[in-house]
Amino acid sequence: MKDKRTTPLIHVVDDDGPLRTALLRLLAAAGFEAQGHASAGDFLLYPVPDRPGCLLLDVRMPGPSGLDLQAALPEHGVGLPIIFMTGHADVPTSVRAMKAGAVDFLEKPVQRQNLLDAIGRALVHDERLRRERDDRDRLRERFALLSPREQEVLEQVVAGKLNKQIASALQVSERTIKTLRAQCMDKLGATSAAELGILVERMRRGSEG
Amino acid sequence: MLFARMLRSAAGRILCLCCLGQAFALAPLAAMADHKAANVLVIYSNGRLLPANVEGDRGLREALSGGAGPAVNVFDEFLDVPRFTGAAFQALMSTYLREKYAAQRPSVIVAGGPEALTFCLANRAELFPGVPIVHMAVSDVFLGKLGRLPADVQGVPIVYEFARTIEQALAWHPQARHLVLVTGASPQDREWEAQLRREVPRFTARVHPEFLAGLTTPAVQQRLAQLKDDTVVFAAGYFRDGDGREFTPREAVQGMTAVSGAPVYAAFNTFIGTGVVGGYMLDYRGMGRQAALAVNDHLHGTRLAQAPAARAMPNALNVDWRQVRRWAIDERAIPDAAVVHFREPGLWEAHRLEVLLAVGVVVLQTGLIAGLIVERRRRKLAVQAEQKQRFELVHASRVAVVGELTGAIAHEINQPLGAILSNAEAAEMILATGAQRPAELRQILADIRRDDLRASEVIRRLRALLEKHQVEHKRFDLNEAVGDVESILRAEARRRGAVLEILLPVPAVTMVGDRIQIQQVLINLVLNALEAVAELPEPRRRVSVEVEKTAGRVTLLVRDRGTGIAPDQMPRLFDSFFSTKSTGMGLGLSIVRTLVEAHGGRVTAENGVDGGAVFRVEWPAAGAKNRRNMEQA
Repeated sequence: MKDKRTTPLIHVVDDDGPLRTALLRLLAAAGFEAQGHASAGDFLLYPVPDRPGCLLLDVRMPGPSGLDLQAALPEHGVGLPIIFMTGHADVPTSVRAMKAGAVDFLEKPVQRQNLLDAIGRALVHDERLRRERDDRDRLRERFALLSPREQEVLEQVVAGKLNKQIASALQVSERTIKTLRAQCMDKLGATSAAELGILVERMRRGSEG
Repeated sequence: MLFARMLRSAAGRILCLCCLGQAFALAPLAAMADHKAANVLVIYSNGRLLPANVEGDRGLREALSGGAGPAVNVFDEFLDVPRFTGAAFQALMSTYLREKYAAQRPSVIVAGGPEALTFCLANRAELFPGVPIVHMAVSDVFLGKLGRLPADVQGVPIVYEFARTIEQALAWHPQARHLVLVTGASPQDREWEAQLRREVPRFTARVHPEFLAGLTTPAVQQRLAQLKDDTVVFAAGYFRDGDGREFTPREAVQGMTAVSGAPVYAAFNTFIGTGVVGGYMLDYRGMGRQAALAVNDHLHGTRLAQAPAARAMPNALNVDWRQVRRWAIDERAIPDAAVVHFREPGLWEAHRLEVLLAVGVVVLQTGLIAGLIVERRRRKLAVQAEQKQRFELVHASRVAVVGELTGAIAHEINQPLGAILSNAEAAEMILATGAQRPAELRQILADIRRDDLRASEVIRRLRALLEKHQVEHKRFDLNEAVGDVESILRAEARRRGAVLEILLPVPAVTMVGDRIQIQQVLINLVLNALEAVAELPEPRRRVSVEVEKTAGRVTLLVRDRGTGIAPDQMPRLFDSFFSTKSTGMGLGLSIVRTLVEAHGGRVTAENGVDGGAVFRVEWPAAGAKNRRNMEQA
């Protein structure tokens, strides 16, 4: 028995019961664990477990559409990659979906290989997202260890200031700055000022994303 | 004055006497000068009622005239042979006439018939010496026997054209093989018989002659009754039969024609009307007239000898048209010169104007009727053509609308196809793993079958919509008809980001008509409603369809939550080619109206209380009467 937390879970959202069942069946036969939802609302009410996976989403559904759901997911803290399915792929809809971060756009009837390929890509995408998120989380944890004084020094260092300039700006001794700088590098696991710069950059990008 | 008149009268009388004396000297022209009325004595051989005598008398009196002189008195006497004959009777008669006419001395004597002529000739000296005699109705044969007559005895002989009559009869009856001749027992009858016996041998090559001469009337009638139409009868008529019974020949012939099985011909025109077919006949009236002319000559002083006397009275072919018909004689064989009796004047001859008018009216009426029929037919064809065109238009519109629904239809077909594909692929993978999961495979196959049917059902309904079917008049459930197009309409609504609600609260709503056309009404109204909500934000794009049923009425309501119908658009809403949209022909609602009205219903539009338009279609429900009709059909 594999660890539930690491096996992917595929979410299928389609109002068409027979089609949903068939897709779930196919995914099961392909070795995936899959969960079906009859509407966008159903999915949002469902507590999504924190597991790798992706979302297989019908564009047009009664009530909120697939695109509506896509827009609502970040608010609900769901970061699963989305594969859209549609019976009639119109260009504006697919552009909108792709811009909103969809990983794929499949035309119904969906062929197995296309579906499994798309799911494969989505899972890779999801894994990368997860890893990045994990990295960001770890980085954030390490940044959290920094004292306010250390954070001030780090900002100056990343900005490219010399120790002497930092000491002058903070009105402390250059030696103190050296110590604080060493403590920063130690806490963040960096070996050089350049590495510190990369970490801070990653930290900044992660909090934006 | 009185004296003068008497004097003039006396002078006149003296003049008269002088003239009279001169007249005697100049006899027989004396009568002309005599200012007294001239007397004409007509002595007939037979009785007073003999038709020939009656006719002859009429002709005589018609033509007699006093000329410039006084009127003519006509006296008639009848020897009444063959009832009265013999020398004693003749002597008595002679005495009687002499005494009777002593004071009324005749100027001219007319002898009507051979006996009368014989009598006059024999008793002339005692009776009226010197009085000229004009004879009539005396045959040439009889005259021949008398020998040469005195100069003042003149007349035009008659001819009995028995042979010619028989010849004509045989011509008209080509099938005749027998000839029956009927004569009587009186001397006159015997003479006719003798003439016939002389003449008949001419025909023996063609027909077999049979004489019924001097038989009793019953015997004659019995024989005649046996005859067939291969026989022709010639009847001279008779004065006396074998029993000694007296007849006028006309009466005798009447008795024959009543029973005869064969056509009877005769040679006397007085027989016409008794049932004889006809023959060459003497016109007795003409004969009387001819005699009168001769009498007039005497009275007016024209000497008879100077007038070129005709050799014989002409006979004319007479024919009774009723008998021609009865004996089926070929009408074309009747000469134009024939005197035809009893022919009903043709309608044309009798009522030419009326006939022309009637024909004209009939022709006009016929023309009018023909015109109306042609017009009616043209109108029927035009109506049929219009119906066909309307049907074509309705169908074309339906095809166009279905075209608009392509996306929805594709969705409706792709859904089951997608399910089938995924199921099949899942089954394939299950089999590939070699795992023994028959229950799951069975379920997959069942689902595949179901989805396949679902897809084909979509196609079936689509075909029903697209097909150019014959317009039906059947009972159907409106709910079912709505249900058939529900999924496509829902798919279309979804495609347009709208919500379609369909409310069918009544279990079954039966109506009569064409199901497909009713579906077309629904599709058009729903698409119209979807258009109306297209510009609204998605949550407000709602269209609802509702079927209601009240007593005798079926209602279909299509509501939208759009902006409603502008008042100025309301009257033209259902007109053809009226559209508020930039696309579309503006036919959708006009076709809705056409189809609704074709089903005896009506469609109205109004703005709903909560905004948006409400289209209300009402039809009569399938009543009990309809139900019975449908079951009979």
